[in-house]
Amino acid sequence: MNTAALTGGTPKISIRDMTLVHVNEERRQSNVAVENLTLDIMENEFLCVVGPSGCGKSTLLSAIAGFMQPQTGTVTMNGERITKPGADRGVVFQEYALLPWKTVLDNVALGLKFRGVPRADREAKAMEYIAMARLTEAAKKYPHELSGGMRQRAAVARTLANTPEIMMMDEPFAAVDAQTRLSLQEELLRVWNDNPITVLFITHSVEEAVFLADRVAVLTPGPGKLREIVEIDIPRNARHWDTITSDPEFIALRDRVMALVRDQNG
Amino acid sequence: MIARRSRPFMRRGSAALTGILPFIALFAAWALLPALAGIPEFKLPSPGKVLNTFTNMMADGSLMAHVWASLQRLAAGYLLGNLIAIPLGLAIALNRAVSETLTPVLSFFQSIAGIAWVPLAIIWFGVGKGSVLFVIANTIFFASIYSTVIGVRTIPRVLFRASLSHGASRWDIISNVVIPGAMVQILVGLRTSMAYGWRALVAGEMIAGTDGVGYMTLEAVQWYQAEIVILGMIVIGVLWLLMDALLFTPIERVTVRRWGMVR
Ligand SMILES: Nc1ncnc2c1ncn2[C@@H]1O[C@H](COP(=O)(O)OP(=O)(O)O)[C@@H](O)[C@H]1O
Ligand SMILES: [Mg+2]
Repeated sequence: MNTAALTGGTPKISIRDMTLVHVNEERRQSNVAVENLTLDIMENEFLCVVGPSGCGKSTLLSAIAGFMQPQTGTVTMNGERITKPGADRGVVFQEYALLPWKTVLDNVALGLKFRGVPRADREAKAMEYIAMARLTEAAKKYPHELSGGMRQRAAVARTLANTPEIMMMDEPFAAVDAQTRLSLQEELLRVWNDNPITVLFITHSVEEAVFLADRVAVLTPGPGKLREIVEIDIPRNARHWDTITSDPEFIALRDRVMALVRDQNG
Repeated sequence: MIARRSRPFMRRGSAALTGILPFIALFAAWALLPALAGIPEFKLPSPGKVLNTFTNMMADGSLMAHVWASLQRLAAGYLLGNLIAIPLGLAIALNRAVSETLTPVLSFFQSIAGIAWVPLAIIWFGVGKGSVLFVIANTIFFASIYSTVIGVRTIPRVLFRASLSHGASRWDIISNVVIPGAMVQILVGLRTSMAYGWRALVAGEMIAGTDGVGYMTLEAVQWYQAEIVILGMIVIGVLWLLMDALLFTPIERVTVRRWGMVR
């Protein structure tokens, strides 16, 4: 994956000079969240976007997901303009966004249901992803009966079961406790190794970004512009929390990204 | 597992017991006060007299005839009112143009909903079933519609976005997100509108009815038969309690309670 990113490969998502503006009609205000951003997300790479809170990370994701349109510039997938949300771009949210009135099984099968897959087929496929997320025991439970970590695993399973072309995650582990977060990060990498897919992962945690990513894109404080892209060439088999924190390469990259983030704050 | 299941059950059991206490107190006051305070029987008949009236009216079938007439009318008005209110509420919540068009006119008529329409209803439909039905449906419509609107508007935006990013069509959104997401409030609307419907029914029958529990109580007033009035009030209250316990509470238990949306 790294090599594809380094050598150019094919961009899955291409963002060119994109400006994103939030318009509040009632208060007649407009708020520039992202300005002149140019960024490629390569096929099957794991790209992390970091930046301080309010710098426009979620807004950037909204544009790729098709929840909002750029004011100027373009955002394309496979060369085609993104105009509306679709199953090819699955999103995992910080708030889990599982439907409270559906069991884990029905939530994970949701995208397949929307696409008209017959019940027996979609449930069989959903159960595979539920097993992958180690939730088999909880398949018949409702989201409110699960812990935060289990809910987020279900949300990831829901997105992957729908086999999108890109999975976008907006600070997905920010709401769980620190211990659970570490294991969710390792599990995400295990699952991603078995299911190669383009990932856009948004976080405000530099450590998390460097641990997960092939490349880390650092945004400037609002309005967000691209500050720099840092390649993370730590081998995939070295991505374990019990050893990586003493890996000099990890420490060096983390400090470098940290400096890029802090530089513009202070 | 057994312990976890039996606890809510016990709680429900003891709640039902404490809920009966005020009724016992009221009944005791009703039985004892007239003698203590010297209230004449024609103003406040004794429980025995009301019970007597109840057995007589059950025997000659007149009570059931009135109750049945009221229930049919209530059911018709309830269906009519809610079948318009809920879809229209969804449309208002989901579509800005519908909302902007209808909100002012609905606010205008909301202030004069219900029994304020009785005089005009009598002119339009005459004294009888048509007028009462119109008044009930009108009351129920306004008691229900805003619950649906609020229910939809308070669904977290992220649930719409998550569904759209998993390929939902407009219809998928309505059936998988909007209706279940608004269910807590839709049930509130169904429940409150039933209660308001009862009141409108009784009031409507008093003014424009020819039969029913409301008509029965008003007719009794002309003969100073307070025992029939009190009987009518008890019948209305008991029917409402039964509906709540047998209809709404079970629906709630298998939907919003199961989903963890209300505690
Ligand atoms: N719906 C909205 N309406 C108006 N302004 C918004 C809206 N959402 C976000 N913003 C503003 O856009 C900027 C970027 O927000 P966001 O993309 O959520 O940042 P981040 O995800 O990096 O914390 C912030 O200044 C925020 O206040
Ligand atoms: Mg954000």
